[in-house]
This record gives sequence, structure tokens and C-alpha cells, in this order.
Amino acid sequence: MAPQSLQQILLSPAELSYLHTSLSSNPPIRPDGRTATQFRPLIAESDILPGTNGSARICFADGTEAVVGVKAEVERSSGISRDVDGEGEGEEGVKKGRNEWVEISVDIPGERDDDSNPIFLAAVLSEALLADGEFVERLWINRHFHWRLYLDVLLLSPPLSYPLPLLSLTTHLALLTTRLPKLLSEKDEDPLFSDDWDASEPLYHPPHTSHPPITLLVMAVQETIIFDPSKEELAVADAVLAVSLSESPTSNSSSQDTEMEMDVEGGKKRNLRLLAVRTIDPPSRLTHKGLANKVNTATGGTAQKNLEDGGGDGEEGVWCPPRGGAKRGLIKEMIGRVLERGGVGEEVLDGLCGAEL
Amino acid sequence: MTSLKRSLVSDPYASNISSKVYVRSTKAGKVQKIVRELYLRQDIPCSSKLCTACLKNAPRDASGILAPFVLSAKPAGTKKYTQGHYLVPDTNALLNALDLFEQKSAFYDVIILQTVLEELRNRSIPLYNRLIGLTKSEEKRFHVFFNDFRLETYVTRGEGVSINDRNDRAVRRAVKWYSEHLAQAVKAADGKSGQVPAVVMLSDDKENLKKAKKDGIDSCSLREYVDGLDDANNLLDMIAVVKEGREIKDTKMVQKVHKDYLTVSKMMTGVKNGTLHQGIFNVTPYNYLVGSIKVPAFDKPLMILGRESMNRAVHGDVVVVEVLTKDQWKEASTKIIEEETINKDENADAEDGEAVVTEREQRALQEEVKRVHSKTSEGRAQPTAKVVGVIKRNWRQCVGHIEESSVSKSGKPQMVFLIPMDKKIPKIRVRTRQAAEIVGKRVLVTIDSWDVDSRYPVGHFVRSLGDVENKAAETEALLLEYDVQYRPFPKAVLDCLPAEGHDWIVPPSTDDPGWQDRRDLRHLQICSIDPIGCQDIDDALHARPLPNGNFEVGVHIADVSHFVKPNSAMDAEASIRGTSVYLVDKRIDMLPMLLGTDLCSLKPYVQRYAFSAIWEITPDAEIVNSEFTKSVIKSREAFSYEQAQLRVDDQSQQDDLTLAIRTLLTLSKKFKQKRMDAGALSLSSPEVKVEMESETSDPIDVKTKKHLDTMSLVEEFMLLANTSVAAKIYSAFPQTAMLRRHGAPPKTNFEELALQLKTKRGLELSVDSSKALADSLDTCIDPNEPFFNTLVRIMATRCMMAAEYFCSGTQAYPEFRHYGLASEIYTHFTSPIRRYADLVAHRQLAAAIDYEPIHAAVRSKGKLEAVCRNINVRHRNAQLAGRASIEYYVGQALKGRIVEEEGFVMKVFSNGFVVFVPRFGIESLIRLRDLAEPEPEGVFDAEEYVLETKGSREIRVELFGKVVVRISDVLEEKTGKRVVKSEFVKSGGKE
Repeated sequence: MAPQSLQQILLSPAELSYLHTSLSSNPPIRPDGRTATQFRPLIAESDILPGTNGSARICFADGTEAVVGVKAEVERSSGISRDVDGEGEGEEGVKKGRNEWVEISVDIPGERDDDSNPIFLAAVLSEALLADGEFVERLWINRHFHWRLYLDVLLLSPPLSYPLPLLSLTTHLALLTTRLPKLLSEKDEDPLFSDDWDASEPLYHPPHTSHPPITLLVMAVQETIIFDPSKEELAVADAVLAVSLSESPTSNSSSQDTEMEMDVEGGKKRNLRLLAVRTIDPPSRLTHKGLANKVNTATGGTAQKNLEDGGGDGEEGVWCPPRGGAKRGLIKEMIGRVLERGGVGEEVLDGLCGAEL
Repeated sequence: MTSLKRSLVSDPYASNISSKVYVRSTKAGKVQKIVRELYLRQDIPCSSKLCTACLKNAPRDASGILAPFVLSAKPAGTKKYTQGHYLVPDTNALLNALDLFEQKSAFYDVIILQTVLEELRNRSIPLYNRLIGLTKSEEKRFHVFFNDFRLETYVTRGEGVSINDRNDRAVRRAVKWYSEHLAQAVKAADGKSGQVPAVVMLSDDKENLKKAKKDGIDSCSLREYVDGLDDANNLLDMIAVVKEGREIKDTKMVQKVHKDYLTVSKMMTGVKNGTLHQGIFNVTPYNYLVGSIKVPAFDKPLMILGRESMNRAVHGDVVVVEVLTKDQWKEASTKIIEEETINKDENADAEDGEAVVTEREQRALQEEVKRVHSKTSEGRAQPTAKVVGVIKRNWRQCVGHIEESSVSKSGKPQMVFLIPMDKKIPKIRVRTRQAAEIVGKRVLVTIDSWDVDSRYPVGHFVRSLGDVENKAAETEALLLEYDVQYRPFPKAVLDCLPAEGHDWIVPPSTDDPGWQDRRDLRHLQICSIDPIGCQDIDDALHARPLPNGNFEVGVHIADVSHFVKPNSAMDAEASIRGTSVYLVDKRIDMLPMLLGTDLCSLKPYVQRYAFSAIWEITPDAEIVNSEFTKSVIKSREAFSYEQAQLRVDDQSQQDDLTLAIRTLLTLSKKFKQKRMDAGALSLSSPEVKVEMESETSDPIDVKTKKHLDTMSLVEEFMLLANTSVAAKIYSAFPQTAMLRRHGAPPKTNFEELALQLKTKRGLELSVDSSKALADSLDTCIDPNEPFFNTLVRIMATRCMMAAEYFCSGTQAYPEFRHYGLASEIYTHFTSPIRRYADLVAHRQLAAAIDYEPIHAAVRSKGKLEAVCRNINVRHRNAQLAGRASIEYYVGQALKGRIVEEEGFVMKVFSNGFVVFVPRFGIESLIRLRDLAEPEPEGVFDAEEYVLETKGSREIRVELFGKVVVRISDVLEEKTGKRVVKSEFVKSGGKE
């Protein structure tokens, strides 16, 4: 989907062409001197809203900041079979969750609730969260009751760049710090919770179960793959993907190996799992073609008499908005880079773990 | 970026702010995380008179007034703390022994910490209320110190520390701070360190005491402390039984005598989805092994049969029951079973290996099950249930006496059994050292707990009331049993009385603001008619002919609402008392005597404020119009019923007052006839008057009250006034008027009586409407026996529902009906001196006539509903207390005498029958085994209601039959009580 309401790109075709060329070299030359896989520093803090079950705030280096608050409410389950004990859902050990139990709402300043942008962003975030089907099981209390989770994602600054990675990271952090009151009642009784907040249990029990997902933006300029693109870099992208990944529960056999290497690398090896991939229409498609010098009357060229002359098409240095999709090989490469061991995904997750608690 | 988190480092006030986070679950099932911020202060005073520093900094209220310091400068000392001490009790100390703290002999200068107060409130609201009462009393010098708000004593919870531990630490910290603070204060005043009072922590928690010793704080357990006081023996008994020492027993399997209760969440779930039911547990008066519980799901109450099913529920508790399967349903009991007889001679100390149901009990129950197949409802199995959990215990202090057989004569502490006066409460095990001294006395105890492995509940002794036969003790016992507030009025209440006291008079000049909106009715010939010796005259009447041939009739009621303003201390006290209680020789007033018998009372020859209802009535007793007004009256005479009757009958008297009374009499007769035609019921309660010797107040004789015409006179006009006022306040306040209703009794209540009448006498009792009932009651006569009709009326009264006060917004208009009076709408208005409901009606009527604006308290539906609930309970208790007092006095009147009287059989059981003796107004139970030695064999015909005996004595008694009984008083050996005993002489009348 085209992020149409993002601020217009105020770069001239020459600038666009310049950026494109420098980014497509190998290694890419980025305007701020970062390497292809280097992320800008961010500041994160959690538990900032005392009234919520979990909250987090992340500020990116370009000045954008987002706050996410998570609230939970007990709700009666309906429709799940009211059969006499023993039938229907099988034994009581079977917990079945439902996707309606999670509600994500995104608020972007300057946009209405029903604008396409917030809805799309909310859909991407919830898709990632619900993709493995295991998250909603944590919300199950008993056969007749469940938790309903409300995630309110607020972008506090005007959207200077595509806000998806920021919102996703903030949601990840907020979910990590979410706590639910401790259940005292047993089995199918009406739920009774402990008064003590300190006895509450985190939604994601560390460290063995899986973590909430994150969504990263990956862009490609010809053959070069770049992570954490800034606004200018996105303006010249050939292909942009939003990749959602999470860490799957580590199996027993590999945990022994990973533990030994933990101290050495400062982070354990994670089993990353791809949850979703979405293509984002880069803003570069909305730009205008540049004019080659030789057909530009301002620089001493002659204007084209007819369009078929086509002069300047594909000429080096003349900006041309990208057309067509990305090659499959390229997409595969992009995804692979995100998920590989020691790659970008792990780096981000490690970084966020450090911010936790 | 700047952090959004409240950073405690950079904030200059940071150390003063703290926050509390907890989870709150609402009734609707919502679960909320609540965050509360706490601002900590440094100026909360220690409230000790020794400390001048706190006096300087102490905060003042809006008017600049400083709350006075409470803790004395020279507190009492004990053997251990000779320099004087302040006490700081822990929550468990208060839970176990609040009675100790209420003693007058010790426990002064006590500091109650906020932490402890809040923990107590969460654990037990009645104890909390009592503690608040203690803190308000000035002589006990209890001070509430807000340690959670004071910076120096605030304690935060560490990681992984439980709430209890944190609270314990808070208590220790506060104690430490107090001792340091006091030391400083004394030093500042240049005192010697020997004068610093010790601050002692009282706790029964071993962990807490250990840690306190480590911290260097003075502390001791309750027992140790009490040992050091004078009067230790008495006081030690009052400490409730603590659960320590149970760990040792656990090693050999504690045998569970009762079943465990279900968890709270299981019970709530069960009640919500209808598998379990909640209600109030009642014990039937004649059979202590059978209980009943009324639940919304069933029409008839569910039965609970046997100790095992009752599972430690006590009469009055709110419990949750589970209905048993149909094959376990039992029939209603026709036996009289008393705990005293079945369970006597038990060992109070036996704690192991007890069965829930003893053999004797089992046998008694089994005979129930052997039922001959019969047609009555008594034969059919009724829904039976068992108790699975208790929601709320309604344990109160009960009066009783020690069971002699359980006492051993040594002076050592031992467990004894206490038998409560109220037969519905089981025996209580009490540990005491003074067993030998308190045998034969009436004592007050409280139940503490009833464990799973114990056959009887366990309690502790509060105080002794006096010897069993002693009149004062018996009266006090009666008042305590029925929860009547009889203590003298506190100072706060007496402060609300007018300053002039007995010299108060109606302002002489009519320009005085007291006269505003009051009509001057001093010229009217008003008189009052009341029982002999009545000093609190509520009502007065007048009547005079009008030129158009009609009569002007007025009812004037004492204007109590002028003296008792809403929301004053006196109003609060009156609201709690609810009604005046009339015992035979004593009257417990609702309002102080100054008001009740002087300022409000419509005494003759003096001017008084009144609230008047004036009607214009035709000679045929039709009401033309009515009005209500506040007024000033001057009563001409205060008659007794007998005096008024004499005066009316005496034809030589022709003055205005007598003529007025005669008019009233004729009109009242017409009103009565109208009511009877409309279906009002005239039911009988046995009214008995005890004559007393004037000097000693010993009862001489007992007579039934005679009914005079003048009594009807007053009654009719009071009814008229009440009905008119009800209509007026309902029209002014349709949602919040204080009214009184009497619901129509359900047909099932009358089933048994109707069946009995039909079987025995062939008489029909129709209950379709009150008129039908009244008419059919009139036909229930026995030409040979004039009393039969009264007997039937008495029994019919018992089938009725109780009348109750209610708030008009809570019921639909058809429900306002007063069945017994056949009136559409009714209230109580005419006795504000002795009933709180009337006072509320006065306030509402005053607002309805625009005399004064309505006060918020009388307008709020919620508050009025609470008031109604309370006064309904108090009204019932007052009636029961009055009856019990009469019973006691009847017993006393018979002391040493033996009388033979006629009686009528009211109820027949398989092992006995109940005889009602009209002369004394008492019901006595005659058991088969009382008839002869050895017990004759009984043959009970349940359908014909006849009991015949064979064997050592042969008699035949049938329901409604006349019998002669010999009544005497007998000193029961095992209880030391004097009871009225009836012996059966013969059937038939006294020839």
C-alpha cells in the first residue's frame, strides 16, 4: 500500500539519482555514513504508565517517538461449547484461543482512525502477533473466561518516516513488560484474582517461552540490501519489505550449546522464525522522472520533439522512478539476511532485551 | 529524550511521594489495576502530652483548632515497665482479645497504628467498629497514629516480601520511632531518662516477637503482658483461643469431624449458575437438629437435617447450601429434640476421636425416618439440603450459664461447656480458670471459631452478669440476648438537649421565632388517654361540634422532630436504638428522659409543641376534609383508660371535655365498624399484666388485660391519623416515604391450621382475602367454649407475615397494603417518642406541609432503606424482649405457689404436646416422659391430631381440647434456673 499521506519528498531528481547511485554501490554509501546493517541508536524505556498492565516508549534518533500501553480485561467466553463436562473442547487442558481477544489500535497524529494508514499498520502488527496462534493461548483463563487485551499504539511525533518499525519495536517492549493479575480460583470457577500486584505474572514468562514479534523494514537498491532506512533512503528504494519475525522456543538439545557461547558473544543464539512478509510501496514510485541534460533546454539541450525519442531513459545519472516488482531472488536474499544467525534480527532482539526490566 | 517515568532522583519532593499498586476486582467481574500515590508528611503529631515539639508543628484544621493530644504524660506502669508505658497492639492481638482492651481495669494509653487498623478492617468489620468506638471514648485514651502517612515511619515492601511481613515491619518501625521520639521529647523538656515511658508492642505472632527482640524493641505476647497485670486471672480468660499448638497435633492425623468448606470462588460460581443456594440459616425452635433456610429458588424453605448436614453453621449465619438428591430427602420432624437432654454428660475436654453425630442423636433421627405413610404434608419428603460453606458469620455475644456436669472442682484452667439461653445456639466450649466461681451465674461469651475437627464451637468468656436468679442479672441477660442498647446515653447525645433542661417552656410571646408557622390551639379542650402510670404521653385528642352539624376532631402528637434534628448525635443514637423497649419493670428509652417524659410529652396543664392532624367529620364518620399543622397545645387532663371509661359512663358529668370524649367514643365505634366491614382483622395476642408489690417490685399476681372501650377509642383515631399521614407523605415523596405494610400471608402458611380446624371441628377457614379470613374467623366458635375463638385467633396470628417498615420507592403501590388493617396505605406517625419510624414520618410530613425544607438524610432512598432494615430488626427484638420479660416475671410470680389452671392444647407431637394457659398467657411443653415414671408409650395419630398413651399412665389429648394443668415453679438442678413447669392433671375442664 502506498503511504500516500507521508510527507512529500522534496528532493529533486538529481538528488534522488545521486542517492540512488551511492546506495547501489557495494558497500553502500549511506548519507549518514552507516554500514548496510547498522541501526541508528534508539532510546527505550518501559513501565512508564502506571495505570496500564504494560507500557513502553521508544524514541528513534530521527526524533520520532511512540508510546504503547497494554490493558487487559476479563471477558466471558461465548460460543465456546456449553456442552456438559467432558465433551466439546475435550479435556480441560486444551486451551483454545481466539484472535478476537486481541485488539490493536494505532493512533497517528494528523490521521483519522479510519484512514488507511493506521488501519494497515494495526493489521500488520496484529498479524505478526497472532501469526503463530500461540499468543492467544496465554489469554485463556478457563473454559468460560478469558483476558481481552487492548494494545493502544500511539505515535507521538508527526510521521517523518515510515513508522512501522518504531511501532513494532515499542509494541514488543510493551508486551514483554505486561503483567496479568495472578489467578487464585481453580479450573472452571468464576475467576478470582489476587489483590497483590507484585504477585502478578508476566504475560511472557522469561526465559523459556517465545517472545513477541518485531517487524523490520528492509530495503533494496538494485542488488544492495539496506537495513533501518532513513526517509531519504526510502525515497530511492527499489523494493521495501516489512519482515515480521519472532523467536521460537529454544529446544532442549540446542540450549546446551547456546549456553556455552553466551558469555563470549554477549547474546545467545536464537531460533528466529519468520512470521510475515509484506511489501511496502516505496515512495520512490511517486517521484517524477529526471530530465537528461541533453534534452533540457536550461542546460543547452534541445527539447524532445516527440516522446518516442525517449532520450535519457536509463542514462546514468538521470533519475527514473522504479517500475515493476522486485526479483524473487532479491526478496529471498532480503529475508535471509534478516533471519540469519548473527544477523540483524538477533541484533535487534538482543538490544531490546537489554532495555527490558 | 526526557524520560516519562517519574524519576525519583531529580525530584526534590521525591522522598515524600510513594505509591501503592494493587488489584481490585469489582462485583461485576472487572479486574482493575489501581495505583494510588501517597504523600508522606513530617508533621503528624505523636499525640503524647510529654512532647512539645509535635505540639508546635501539629497541623490545624480549617478553623485553626488543634486536635488535643490524647496520650497521658504519666501513663500507668506494670511490674515490668515501672516507668509507665504506652501500648502498641499488633493486629492479631486485637483480633484475639478486643474484649480485653475494653476492660476498665487496664489498657489505657494505647496507640493504634494505621496499618493495624486497616488490617483489622479487612479481617473483621464488627471488631473494627468496636475499636473505633474505643478510640472515640475519651477516658480510654486510645490514639490512632497514621504511620503510613508519616515519612519517618513509612515502610516500603521489598522484593518477594509478603504483605504480612511488610506490615509487621511497619509496626516495629513505628514502635522504634515512638520510643526514640519520646526519649527526645523528654530530653528536650530536661527530664531524666528514667521518666521516658516504655513503648511496648503487643503481639501473638512469634516471628514478630523474635524480630522485635533483635531490633531492641520492648515487646511481649498478650499472655505475658496480662500476667503482669492485677486481676490477671479474670483477664486471661478473655483471650480467645489461639490456634497455636496445632502443629504438634498434625503429626498424628487430625480426624476431620466435619467436612471442609468449599472455597469462596467455588461457592460464588455455584450460586451464580444455580447449583448452590445462598440464604440465612435458621434453627427450628423445638428441634435443634433441624435447621431451615429460605432461598429464592424454592417456595418453601429447605430443610437441613442433622449435625453433619449443618456442618458448623450457627443460627443466623449466611450460608451456602447444596440440595441433596431426592432419595435423601427427609420428612419434617414431629419430635421435640433438645440439645440439653440428648447431649448432656459429655466431656468438654475431649478433642480427639469425636464423631459428629453421637449414637443418641442418630437414634433420635432414625425414629424420624420410620414414618407411617400418611396424607398430610408432614409425611411427604421435603427438599433437604446440606451446608457446604459459610459466607458470613453472624456470631454475637450470647448469654448463658455453665453446664454443671462439665465442671471439675479444681481451680486449674479447664474447658467447660456453656449453654446459651437461646436454644438455637449450640453448646460452646470455653476455657476458664474461674470455673468454680462462675457456676450458677449468668455469663456473657462470644464464639471464636468452629474448627473442622471439633464437635462444638470454641469461645471465650467476656464477663459475668450476676447470679442466675438475680433480677438485675436476668434483665441484663435478656437485653443482651435481644441486642438492646441499654447503656446510658453518652455525653455527645446529652449535649444535643436544650440547655434550659427542665425549665424549657414554649416561648410566651407569639412573635418569637419558635412560633413561626405554628397554630395556636391552646384554647381547645384537649385531653390524653393512656395506660396508668404513663409518663411519655405521645398523643392527645380533642373534638368539638361545628355549626354545620359536623365535628372537628383533632389528633395532636408530640413534636419530637423539633428537638431531635437530623444528623445530630441524638438522632444517630435514636436511629440505632430504633424503638423503646418495654420490659415489665423497666423501660429502655429511645430518647433521653428529659425529652421523653418532659419536654416532648403532652403533659396536662402545660403548653407544649405538637404536630396536629385535624379533620372535619360528619356524624356518620365520613371525612370531609383534613389538614396537618404544627401547633402549640395545652392539654386539659391526662386520663388513664379506666378513668376515662368511668368518666364517660358517669352520666352526671356533662362538661365540655366529657362530651368531647363521648363524641369521640361514638365516632370511634363507627370507624371501627367501617374497618371491620372492609375486612380488618381483629387478632389476639395473649395480653397479660403482671401486678407488682410496690416496695420490692416482686410480682404478686398475673392478670390478663381487660379490653375497655376507651382503648378502642384511642386506637381508632391513631389508625385514622396514621392512614391520613401516610397518604400525605406518599403524595409528597412518592419514592422515599416511610411507610408500613403488612403483606398478605401466603395460603401455605394457613394450610396446617385450616386442615386442623377442618379435621377437628369441621370448621372452614377461608383465606382468600382479609375480609374472608375475618368472617371465617368469626364463625370459628365453639358454643361450649368461649375461649376457643380467641385460641384460633392466636394461632391465626402466628400464620401471618410480620408487618414491616419500608421505603415507598422499593415496592409497587398494591404492595403498600396493610393486610391486617385492611388499609391501602399505612405508616407509623403517632408515637415519635418511642419509635424512630414515627420521627422520620414527622420530618417528611413537616416537609410535605412546607413547614421546613426536607433534610437530605430523610430524602435519600439508600439511607432510608438502611434505616428501615434496622428498625424492623429492633422492633422484632423489642417484642421478643418484652415477651421474655413477661415470661420471666410470670415465673417469679409463681414462686413457691402451685396453681391449677385450665389450658388448651395448641400443638401435638409424637412425644409431647404444647398447652396454652390463657390466665398467664404462657405456652408450656409437656413431654411424655414428664407424665409418669417410667415413660408411658405414646400412640400418635397424625391425621386426627390425637396423642394417646398406654402403660404407666393412660391419657388422651387432642388438639384444641381443654385440659387442666398444674403450674408450679421448679428449680432445675443442672442449670440452677427457676422454670415454670406444667404438669398434666387431666383432660376436660376444671369442674
